[in-house]
Amino acid sequence: MTQITRPTPRRLDAFTLASEPGNERQALKRVAGSVAGLGLPEARLERLKTAVAEATMNAIEHGNGNRPEILVEIEVTLAGDEIVVAITDQGGQANAGTGEHTEPDLVKKLHGDQSPRGWGLFLIRNMVDAMDVTTDGQQHTIWLTMRTGGSAHDEHV
Amino acid sequence: MTSMCEATIRELPGAAVIELAGEVDGSAAIVLTGAYERAVTSADAGGAVADGEVSTVVLDFAAVDYINSTGIALIVSVLARARAERRKVVASGLSPHYREIFDITRLSDFIELFPDVDRAVSQLTPPAA
Repeated sequence: MTQITRPTPRRLDAFTLASEPGNERQALKRVAGSVAGLGLPEARLERLKTAVAEATMNAIEHGNGNRPEILVEIEVTLAGDEIVVAITDQGGQANAGTGEHTEPDLVKKLHGDQSPRGWGLFLIRNMVDAMDVTTDGQQHTIWLTMRTGGSAHDEHV
Repeated sequence: MTSMCEATIRELPGAAVIELAGEVDGSAAIVLTGAYERAVTSADAGGAVADGEVSTVVLDFAAVDYINSTGIALIVSVLARARAERRKVVASGLSPHYREIFDITRLSDFIELFPDVDRAVSQLTPPAA
């Protein structure tokens, strides 16, 4: 039987943010800094930054209800060629931001049949190589995975 | 939240350019919708553009460094209104990353994209006789 050895994750950064609208800009800047030097191509770095910003916005708004005293926790790790960003809020199962959503349909939005909003989760899914969501009690975490040399979604460019 | 978005309007024959700068996010709602409103109506009694005469609105993103999902929603709202008013919307100056976002959201199916505002305007303004 062949054993698959997974690389031990190495923590690149861990920090918290107050749940105030606009703080997602701090998250994307800090995550971008923590992955600098890993060889992530510019286009993929931009995608990761957008995904981090959107997931942090979701945690601030839907998870922690824009309450500054409740912190969003962000951890960045590297395992092999995979950058994993974990963004945790205290919304538990109540965080509807990452629940099942109607896929955004621009034509329906233009005709008023869908709200103009609702792009956040769609953007995240299209920006990174993988997105997972876990809930442990009150802790609700979105996991964003981006391979440093991967090619997923590169067809968009 | 204070808006980090600014808008400058440039009037052209039959068109208006809205030059955006800063961040297009949810806080930009008043700036963006207000700019659209001013762009398509006469700014004052002596304004060069009368209501109904602006057939094309150019959104120039050259000085924009951040667009998020709520900003995309604002752009969708402006586009919906423009289409209802039978006006065309084109965009210029988007970075490659935001061009990709316009592609995956399908905004680029409804908003023609130009590399810069000069090329957008040159496509709109009929050459002098």
